[in-house]
Amino acid sequence: MDKQKLIASLNEIVGPDNVLSSEMDLMLYSYDASLDKAKPDVVVLPDSTEEVSKIMALAYKEKIPILGRGSGTNLTGGTVPIKGGIVVHFSRMNRILEIDYANRTATVQPGVITLDLQTEVLKKGFVYQPDPASQKVSTIGGNVSENSGGPHCLKYGVTSNHVQGLEVVLNDGTVINTGGKARDNAGYDITALVVGSEGTVGLVTKAILKLERAPESVKTLLAIFDAIEDGANTVSAIVAEGIIPATLEMMDNTVMRAVEETIKVGYPLDAACVLIIELDGMPEGMDDNASKIVEICRQNHVRDVRLAKDEAERNVLWAGRKGAFGSVGQVRPSYLCCDGTVPRTKLPEVLNQVIEIGKKYNLPIGNVFHAGDGNLHPLIMFDERDEDERSRVLKASTEILKACADAGGTISGEHGVGMEKLKETAFIFNECDLEFERQIKRAFDPDDIINPGKMIPANS
Amino acid sequence: MVDDTEKFKNLSETLGEAHVKTEPKITAQYTVDNVVPRAVVFPKNTDQISEVVKFANRENLAIVTRGSGTKMAMGNPPRKLDLVVCTSRMNHMLDVDTSNLTMTVEAGVKFRDIQARLATQEDRCYLPLGDLEAEGDEIICSDRSHSGCFVPIDPPYADKATIGGIIATNSTGPRRLLYNLPRDCIIGIRVVAPNGDVLGSGGKTVKNVSGYDVSKLMVGSMGTLGILCETTLRMLPLPEKMETLLVSFANFSDASAFAGRIFETSLLPAAVEIMNGEAFGHLSLDDKPDFGSNGYVAAIALEAFEPAVDRMRIEMLNMAKEAGAGANAVFEEEDHRSFWLAMSNLSATLDKKFSGFIKAKLNYPLSMWKNIIASGESIFSEANLDYIVQAHAGNGICFTGLLVDNNDTSATDKAVEAMNQLLAYCQEVDGNLVIQSAPADVKSNLRIWGKIGFDFVVMKRLKDQLDPKGIMSPGRFVEGL
Repeated sequence: MDKQKLIASLNEIVGPDNVLSSEMDLMLYSYDASLDKAKPDVVVLPDSTEEVSKIMALAYKEKIPILGRGSGTNLTGGTVPIKGGIVVHFSRMNRILEIDYANRTATVQPGVITLDLQTEVLKKGFVYQPDPASQKVSTIGGNVSENSGGPHCLKYGVTSNHVQGLEVVLNDGTVINTGGKARDNAGYDITALVVGSEGTVGLVTKAILKLERAPESVKTLLAIFDAIEDGANTVSAIVAEGIIPATLEMMDNTVMRAVEETIKVGYPLDAACVLIIELDGMPEGMDDNASKIVEICRQNHVRDVRLAKDEAERNVLWAGRKGAFGSVGQVRPSYLCCDGTVPRTKLPEVLNQVIEIGKKYNLPIGNVFHAGDGNLHPLIMFDERDEDERSRVLKASTEILKACADAGGTISGEHGVGMEKLKETAFIFNECDLEFERQIKRAFDPDDIINPGKMIPANS
Repeated sequence: MVDDTEKFKNLSETLGEAHVKTEPKITAQYTVDNVVPRAVVFPKNTDQISEVVKFANRENLAIVTRGSGTKMAMGNPPRKLDLVVCTSRMNHMLDVDTSNLTMTVEAGVKFRDIQARLATQEDRCYLPLGDLEAEGDEIICSDRSHSGCFVPIDPPYADKATIGGIIATNSTGPRRLLYNLPRDCIIGIRVVAPNGDVLGSGGKTVKNVSGYDVSKLMVGSMGTLGILCETTLRMLPLPEKMETLLVSFANFSDASAFAGRIFETSLLPAAVEIMNGEAFGHLSLDDKPDFGSNGYVAAIALEAFEPAVDRMRIEMLNMAKEAGAGANAVFEEEDHRSFWLAMSNLSATLDKKFSGFIKAKLNYPLSMWKNIIASGESIFSEANLDYIVQAHAGNGICFTGLLVDNNDTSATDKAVEAMNQLLAYCQEVDGNLVIQSAPADVKSNLRIWGKIGFDFVVMKRLKDQLDPKGIMSPGRFVEGL
């Protein structure tokens, strides 16, 4: 379809104010938080499911690539329109439609900012658990598509464990509802298939999310170590002891320094790493558990364990953790975050390999990650404009993911495959695995127009 | 009757003659809703399952997979049935990694053996080992990891069901309140696809978003998208203390008020089960307190640190008193475990007692539970039927069963009519009613899977794409998928 005709058709659906096609606009929608870039032909900002359905039907009829986008915080190229076409930006569909405390659900549009929902329900003493570090800007639609994690997913599970139902616009514009306020619906778990599908099976226009009562009590500890191995061994030991805290996060010296440059948290800058350990739930038994954790830290040569004495101190500790990705910009202008995940017992070993890989390619690597989940986030810092450095970064990243896969782990714990890790899927999948995924994709999108070129490598 | 021996010869060569049965006296024991399979096969590993499925593809044979056979009454009668694939020989625990809190097991491993394997050195286990051994029919896993962990699933038939069957049917029980569902517990699978390919998804990491979540797609898919061969599960440390509070109430209204009160607090019980006197009366349990048969009983499972259990007991018994409770009883540790095992076997018990037993699972938005149960009670009482009610409060799930003799055609007709009425009511409040078991000859009058969701269009597309020949469990799932 001719581009002017396409724009005219979209104008009819959403009105000309909500169709963007200037060079500047297209450039702004050409990237996300990954390294890839590609410009769409047009950007459209719908305001309702009906409009999304019409846009999708148009794309289907004309075989135009189409993809949905929230705030663009994803880290693997999921929202980069590699084949051009239409980008559907959900910024106007940002309403919390209903908070139903009696049924413990919140029904929201995809453009709702994660933290906005969380702040709202907390007023009544409820929580929506998934807490990606980007929650201040990321949208529920993005969280659903990428199956986002976050520190508290150690105890509470990832986004997938907290989505009860979805409204999805299918390839031909049909609108379906999966799941609902009632749990255990009969049939295949389509909700679970759409969550984490990286926007490749349809456009999510509504989500029914599970709310839980906020825990009665929270205790946050900061454990300071003089050696990375000691921190990593502590993580494995805590889990092996059968203790699953609400969070078990690690941050190394490189990242702490970067954080202190931007947010003054008071992390010990002469330490090798810290663990942020949080316990939550009923207060009974919590002190005992905390003592057990402190004892495990001691056995692993901890320098000091500090307890956040109030909510303010706790918030400062978390501000540093959540602002970490942004802060590393202080060290080098760009970073690549590898999201490799390993069985928790392999953490010390793989962390060492990561450090070695950094040395081998002469690249600074900072580590700030969900240690309790075995979910690494080595941040390889570099300057994107330096071609040589960029190519070393890609090699290092591939090697890190290979190390994770070889340790019985996987190439992505919560950021997805996107475009960035298509090649690396070979580390964990064989041709049968991939063919099954392609069949799933074909069931939803036989013409390959919905976010094409993502998540599953093309047939070799 | 066609002699199938020749046809299945190829399969005998692959699996060994002893593991391919075509004799009518054997196949008759593996019927699905009275449909007799032409052969029953017992593969010993994933590769053999792959061979069986490839063979079925070539010969266009319809397959139903079976573990211990506790769920064979679920679903529509099969449209076609040639092969029953039994997973009983696939009973190996491949990797028990207690330091990583994960384990990988074959599909035919029994749930109780998983829990036994994870028991402590002192044999403290999530299931009552004493009760299980008393059965004496099979050997409980004697290989112990002494880890003091458990796999947090609470399925019906906890002492018989295989992990494969539990996953294929997404079986859950009262303690899902604290531990969630099998879908939240499974982190990896190996499956034989309908074309015979062996494929894997997920693994030993607790987080994984590499590709579509094929593991969750398989959960509850009733064997219609492939055969589950191996699964990796996450485990948890055994709770420091386990205790059951049993409280009797004069009626549902008081019992539900008590449950409602619990959910206003931030206490964390593992289960809040509200059942009628009839259900409680049929529980197969020694030393059961006598609460009379007219009222309702609340059974609360407390599984937590000792001081937390102590606090919950005190506070909840107070709440119960305020809600007008009658007598109460407290079961600790092994008695607690025996109680919940008996709960998980309630429908098995009733199935034996009543030849026409019809069991249904109701789901609905949480807040509708009182209306749903009141409606069920009135429909059943009006039809003059004996019934059990067993609600997983706080989960939006309720099981109900009609205690009918299959020879009593008038009662059976009334039972069918009552279930259909209750289904209509559930649909009105955005819920559903799924028949879990019913005599084969009654099934045709029931809407087994209840209402069809708006997403059926996608289910159909998936089934057609993944199983184009329709050989995996044809007809048994929603809308005859």
